Amino acid sequence: MGVQGTTDRAIPGAARGPGAAPPELTARQVRRMKRFDNPWRNPKLIWGAGLLLSIVALGILGRLFWDTDLVFTGSGMPRQAPVGVENIRGQIGSWAHPLGTDVSGKDLLALLIVGAPNSLYVGVLASLIGMSTGIFLGFTAGFVGGRTDDVIRVLSDVMITIPPLLILVVFQAAYGDISLTLMALLIAAFVWQSPTRLIRAQVLSMREAGYVQMARLSGASTGHIMFREMLPNLVPYLFGSFIANVTTSIVTAVGLEVLGLGPQRIPTLGRVIYDAINSGALIQNLWWWWGIPTLLLAVMFIGLLLINLGLDEVSNPRLRRL
Amino acid sequence: MTVLDIRNISIDFPTSKGVVHAVSDVSLSVPQGRRIGFIGESGSGKTTTALAAMRMLAAPGFVSEGEIHLNALGDTDILALSEEEMRRVRLRKISYIPQGAMNSLNPVMRVETQIWDGILAHEAGVTQAELQRRSDAVLEGVGLDPKIVGRLYPHELSGGMKQRVCIAIGVCLQPDLIIADEPTSALDVITQRHVMQTLREVQARIGAGLILIGHDMGLMAQSVDDLAVLRLGELVEFGPVRQILENPQHPYTKELISSVPLVGGESFLDPTPAEVPKGFTTQDGTPLLELKGVGKTYGAVTALHPMSFTLDGAVPKIISIVGQSGSGKSTMGSLMLGFSPPSTGEVLFKGQDINRIGKADQLTFRKQVQAVFQDPYACFNPFYRVDHALKFPFKRFGLAQSEDHVQEAMEEACRAVGLDPALVLSRYPHQLSGGQRQRLIVARALMLSPNLLIADEPVSMVDASLRSSILKNIHDLKDRHGISIVYITHDLATAYHVSDYVMVLYKGHVVEAGPPKDVIGDPQHTYTRLLIDSIPWPEVGRDWGSADDARAALEELGRIGGTPQTVYRGDIPGFTLRQG
Repeated sequence: MGVQGTTDRAIPGAARGPGAAPPELTARQVRRMKRFDNPWRNPKLIWGAGLLLSIVALGILGRLFWDTDLVFTGSGMPRQAPVGVENIRGQIGSWAHPLGTDVSGKDLLALLIVGAPNSLYVGVLASLIGMSTGIFLGFTAGFVGGRTDDVIRVLSDVMITIPPLLILVVFQAAYGDISLTLMALLIAAFVWQSPTRLIRAQVLSMREAGYVQMARLSGASTGHIMFREMLPNLVPYLFGSFIANVTTSIVTAVGLEVLGLGPQRIPTLGRVIYDAINSGALIQNLWWWWGIPTLLLAVMFIGLLLINLGLDEVSNPRLRRL
Repeated sequence: MTVLDIRNISIDFPTSKGVVHAVSDVSLSVPQGRRIGFIGESGSGKTTTALAAMRMLAAPGFVSEGEIHLNALGDTDILALSEEEMRRVRLRKISYIPQGAMNSLNPVMRVETQIWDGILAHEAGVTQAELQRRSDAVLEGVGLDPKIVGRLYPHELSGGMKQRVCIAIGVCLQPDLIIADEPTSALDVITQRHVMQTLREVQARIGAGLILIGHDMGLMAQSVDDLAVLRLGELVEFGPVRQILENPQHPYTKELISSVPLVGGESFLDPTPAEVPKGFTTQDGTPLLELKGVGKTYGAVTALHPMSFTLDGAVPKIISIVGQSGSGKSTMGSLMLGFSPPSTGEVLFKGQDINRIGKADQLTFRKQVQAVFQDPYACFNPFYRVDHALKFPFKRFGLAQSEDHVQEAMEEACRAVGLDPALVLSRYPHQLSGGQRQRLIVARALMLSPNLLIADEPVSMVDASLRSSILKNIHDLKDRHGISIVYITHDLATAYHVSDYVMVLYKGHVVEAGPPKDVIGDPQHTYTRLLIDSIPWPEVGRDWGSADDARAALEELGRIGGTPQTVYRGDIPGFTLRQG
């Protein structure tokens, strides 16, 4: 019988079945077990942080060792390929422009050195503002309750259903050129809802916790209970929520930029891709122009994802596996 | 004939800090039809040993040595079975009745469907009519009406009914052995008696062996034939329950038996000193605490019917409020702490309505009324070291003169409750045991020296052997520090010993009140009598009575349900109680 065959499958390392024989641990598993002692030594967390730091390092080292003035139009010959690669006209890329140039002769390396940290900056700033708003509103709603809670809850529930891109496109189209900071502020208006809901839920359940009751018995002020007793225990959630928000913010920012609605004069990854699409880089096979910024965005997102997964494992030991 | 043979088993849990020996070298056998109790404190390995027989140890635990034989399997060692063979053994040969019935039933399946599930997992080709007949039979066997209960979902059942459904599932295939892991720990004593009697009856009917895991000596005395005492993974004593209770050999068993407080037994408290410190007094005789017609309703549900009492704090007293879950006793505690306002009446502390205290006096009120809560695990903020819970209120109430003074006061309070300050104060909560934490909370109350302490089930989540010492600490607060105490509990035996006055609450009514010797020693009200009768006595001779008695008593209680009359059993000076 087919069914029998599958149920009697051999479990590697435990011929006598689980619980009956010592689990045979490989050297690798023993090494991983050590990690239970210090949850922060999580490989996902370390790799994720490493990837993000590499973007930051690109910005810092690039400014030290490369001329960022090359972002301007006409810095070099247009449509140059990266080093050692031939472009349509048979020109071999040179070290003058290691990653090539775009149609208007802007140096791609310089664009990335300036643009990649800019994209990260917009994401982090928008997320920071969104989180701060979320913490404030979430705590107020959860702790004060009553009418205040109703207002905040309805507001965030309504806001969560509005697609941010729709509003942002209209807004940016109306205002035209904006700065990075203004863009971050605009995006922040759409990333405070989920932290608000998350924190409100946590505060509601924490409000009945024994130690909060104890603090009330100790005559603690509301501020003390919220920020000294509750907030420290929320740190893992806040971290996770923050990272998730950074991802959302960057996606939104890049989305706007690729539509040509971001800052017009400041290089960002999205803007580079917009220019590439607009100038027919896809048809002319100028793959480095749109390919390399996309790769950098992928690195950023994978880094953020890994940090988020790592943080999950730090705060929830059940997710840690040998 | 033995149904289960455990031979020299040891169970190890490999961790990153080395191997933990959860159970070492335990041998014992369960004869057919006999009931064996496993008793021990948390971490003693009682559940682990039983789970090893089911091969359900939590990873990475494993049986490192020894053999487990099941009679039904002949010479085969349970540990040598494959996972599929083991699956066929579970429920059919060994069944397991879990601790929390509320979490063990599938919330989206009807009760009878869950029983059919168990049958179908072991027997192919059973017809629907046959399934129905068998599920009806087992449900009837545990005293539930199959026509009604079988069609219900778990959330429509009470805790006791759910636990009986779990028993029904456990016995539906007539196993050789039933393992019941603290089946009644989440139930109140009246329901506990009913469920245990059901379990005993069913087990006797199908002639299975029974392993009952628990920590309550009284429950064991009433339920099992043989008792195995486990401590730190070792079997320290094994024998017939009468022999163990009447003539314990091992010092640990002796300690375990002597730590059970008994109604009418010897007191575990120190004698009251001749000179009791003065409590709170005023010239005009304002009482310390006064409840004037205080009642509480939550929507349509009345948690507490209006009642009044005055507690004069001049001579400190312990007032016990006794009742089962849902009786309104914790509501009273939260009303007295000012955590929730009463629906009717007012709570006066030193003549002042505690729900109308201005911001400025709030701190003074808080300083004078403190509490010890049920759950010592939740009372400490996991983010801080435990001294935060002691240090913060001390400073907040302006009692601290300097950092050194705080440290000194903390150390003194720790020593007073029998803790070594150097050992506990700089630890994080998860590094301390439940008993240590609860003592720290008592030390905290001592440091703040309030006039009134509300102790809400202070020992119900602490291991049995520590209960009396923590109650002793609380009692000392009254005797040595002049603190009046309201002791809220479901445990009549401890209330009998520590209190000066007892109120028995039932569905938000005070049904009987008076000095403990009268109320608990010689109960008059039906409900109080039922409560006392339901306590499992750690004496084999004193029988619990049959399931029919329990059913009859419950029915009688159902009749008085609505508005029971309070039975007043005498007064004590400094405390008066009135219904309404």
